[in-house]
Amino acid sequence: YDPDLHPFEVAREYTRAMNAVKMERIFARPFICGLDGHRDSVQCITKHSTQLSLLLSGSCDGEIKIWNVAQRVCQGTIPAHNGFVRGICVIPDGEAFYSVGNDKLIKRWTMNNYETPAMTIVGKHVFTSIDHHYKNPQYATSGETVSLWDEQRAQPLQTFKWGADSHVRVKFNPIETTVLASCAADRSIILYDTRQSVPLRKITLRMNSSTLAWNPLEAFVFTTANEDYNLYSFDIRYLQRPFNIHKDHVAAVTDVDYSPTGKEFVSGSYDKTIRIFPSDKGHSRDIYHTKRMQHITCVQWTSDNKYVISGSDEMCLRLWKAKASEKLGVTRNREAETLEYNEALKEKFSHFPKIKRIARQRHVPKHVYHAKREHKTIQDSQKRHEANARANSKPGSVPFVSERSKLVLEEEE
Amino acid sequence: MATRRTKKWLHVKERKSKFATRQATRSEILHVEEEGYIAPDTVDNEDERIVDLTQADIKSSVDIFSAQKRFDLQLPLYGPYHIDYTRNGRHLLLGGRKGHVAAFDWQTKKLHCELNVMEQINDVKWLHIETMYAVAQRQWTYIYDNQGVEVHCLKALDRSLHLEFLPYHFLLAATNEAGYLSYIDVSIGKKVAAYNTRIANGNGKCGTSVMCQNPSNAMIGLGHAGGVVTFWSPNQREPVVKMLAHKSTIRSVAVERTGTYMATSGVDAKLKIWDLRTYKCVNEYRTASTGASALTFSQKNLLAASYRDIVEIYKDLYDEESSSTELPRYLVHQCPNGSSIASIAFCPYEDVLGVGHDRGFVSLLVPGAGEPNFDALEANPYQTKKQRKHAEVKQLLDKIQPDMITLDNSVLSEIDRKAFVRKQDEKQKEFNFVKPKELIAKAEKKKGKIGKRLARKSQIHDAKLKEFLQQKQLKRQKTKK
Repeated sequence: YDPDLHPFEVAREYTRAMNAVKMERIFARPFICGLDGHRDSVQCITKHSTQLSLLLSGSCDGEIKIWNVAQRVCQGTIPAHNGFVRGICVIPDGEAFYSVGNDKLIKRWTMNNYETPAMTIVGKHVFTSIDHHYKNPQYATSGETVSLWDEQRAQPLQTFKWGADSHVRVKFNPIETTVLASCAADRSIILYDTRQSVPLRKITLRMNSSTLAWNPLEAFVFTTANEDYNLYSFDIRYLQRPFNIHKDHVAAVTDVDYSPTGKEFVSGSYDKTIRIFPSDKGHSRDIYHTKRMQHITCVQWTSDNKYVISGSDEMCLRLWKAKASEKLGVTRNREAETLEYNEALKEKFSHFPKIKRIARQRHVPKHVYHAKREHKTIQDSQKRHEANARANSKPGSVPFVSERSKLVLEEEE
Repeated sequence: MATRRTKKWLHVKERKSKFATRQATRSEILHVEEEGYIAPDTVDNEDERIVDLTQADIKSSVDIFSAQKRFDLQLPLYGPYHIDYTRNGRHLLLGGRKGHVAAFDWQTKKLHCELNVMEQINDVKWLHIETMYAVAQRQWTYIYDNQGVEVHCLKALDRSLHLEFLPYHFLLAATNEAGYLSYIDVSIGKKVAAYNTRIANGNGKCGTSVMCQNPSNAMIGLGHAGGVVTFWSPNQREPVVKMLAHKSTIRSVAVERTGTYMATSGVDAKLKIWDLRTYKCVNEYRTASTGASALTFSQKNLLAASYRDIVEIYKDLYDEESSSTELPRYLVHQCPNGSSIASIAFCPYEDVLGVGHDRGFVSLLVPGAGEPNFDALEANPYQTKKQRKHAEVKQLLDKIQPDMITLDNSVLSEIDRKAFVRKQDEKQKEFNFVKPKELIAKAEKKKGKIGKRLARKSQIHDAKLKEFLQQKQLKRQKTKK
């Protein structure tokens, strides 16, 4: 390599980076297809534990549909519950799945038999969600209390109780399999260990959390979707403050799910948009929206890290690409090399203002755009008031408090 | 904010870049070719000088393939010929003043097209590829296809005296009889800029045809009647650099490939070599009476100068050791019948100098002029048609915008400190409070005694290494003979 033969190195690379970034925006078409068929809004989605192309979704009229996503067809419909289907979970073997609904029933179904459930358990109260242990034949439900059940028994093994409020969601940790967390209606998040009879810890936030998701690759990290439009990532070793706040939504966040690589997660919110966040950054890297898509109730990231599925109020499941400008299908060697080169160029020149502007540019629905502007004005004025107060008072009397430390109101053991 | 994580990330990046540079230097093993040279036979005849060799001598002592590159074209009818080689050194364009234009592959002698444009021609230039060339005719500039079909008439470049093509920016620059320097983007056909180059001190009454290109930063250098050399970029109305080179009219200017040295020759019979980083004169030589009418650098830093009917080639022009004002001649050639030379050009990856004169064209052998190892992704002399098509597309995609032409190429790769400071100030005005961001201060190396000693040691070491390598090379040359 003779540098004399290659003049204008930086300028040429810069031009190539511009082209790469522009092409990424040109080819950014994330929407793949919609899966029609539900007759009421979709309430919950679960991906199958062993089969990549299967998806189970429950809707508000009590139906569960099993979809083959690769062929985009519905494989079967089960009239499961009277009332909402609140939660579905698949056992780790993939042979059967459980569903809970507003009719206080837990039903176990085997994958082939869609007529009758293999087992029905009648509970004392309405169950709001269900999640299965990643190793043992146990599952947990949330409702008025969080209960741990064994697959063979009709009575719960254990019941955890802290406070008088009902729980909205329960989730098992995929790595530390004995740990589970739940979101309660008194704005708190509670951690449990199945080996103990009392809950571990409870933190209270400012607003209610609708759900939480564990990072599949980092055992101690979970992200909650909160109603104050943000998502918070906590490290369970230090629950006093979240180590990351993810801000970008303009309405309550309804669901969150991690990608199998643990590096990103997808969140759906009441503001009719889906956002994909990198797990260590504070803002989203992408936003998906359609005019036809109304309030999103549930999102899932498929296990092959390529697609994102959203279920929303208007009875439709939508399939999106996780990377909007990715080419689906076989890429040849040279093509793959060029794509890698483009990625490297985009990263190298990401701080140049023109390239940054093009890479960041997304078309955003009007209501989101206006809401964002309003929020920004509010935040700016708050900052300004604080700065003025600090400037006009005794130095040190108005300290700099980070937003993260302001979040958790109290932590109890 | 240097957190542990960012430090680690930076560390990884540095390691990767070090690895990349090491691999790049290792790839030098792929440079299988070596440049040519003439080694005097000092054993036999002590008084023999390289300068005394004629082209016939050289031709008889090289192989047939190289000997073929030495040829004469006798075209006595159509006036002094301007010549241009394509970037890969494969195709040659001849334009005679009386209107004759011919484009051909000079190695296989295959003619692409030959036509007479029925007008006076001031200059010819290949565009980025061998399928298009520009001819500066008397009234306007035309672009022709390599079949001889007229493709465009550029009315924006009227009465041009000299053309230059900037290959990485796709800009065709032309100087005017009226003293205007115009830039046209040939990929989209738009005029980028046109500036009046007449020096404000009233010296220039009409336009200059003394023009050269600095290949490393795409600046156009013009030589004016008062001895002033100016460098222009399409982004500024005023010249970027203005230097007083000679005490009289400048006859020709040339800039070397890496952009470090410039050679100027004026009517005052002086040839000066300038260092373009410091704009100081490095060497000054005496030439024949009216100065060199044309100057050009080769890829291996040989300088060719033409004086009426003689062309001289100089080697080792900027060796600091020699303090004489005598030009270090390497080879000399005189055109037959005293026909005066109109233009000279080195062929890019060959040891060949092309000379266009009154009565035709002559191709001379100059051992050691061309770069022996070409990078096929940049300029491929053995391009097939398909490769040419793909290369054209890639070139167009990599076209640099004209507003990125600056004097110093490294500006893009450095931190923009001014913009950072400006942004912080703006934020400070909007809110009273701004989280103070640190900009990494340039580490100033304080050299104490030990530092100076180390620096001196490394200098000595470098000098010794250089000497050793030179000795080795001389030994190798001797054994080769």
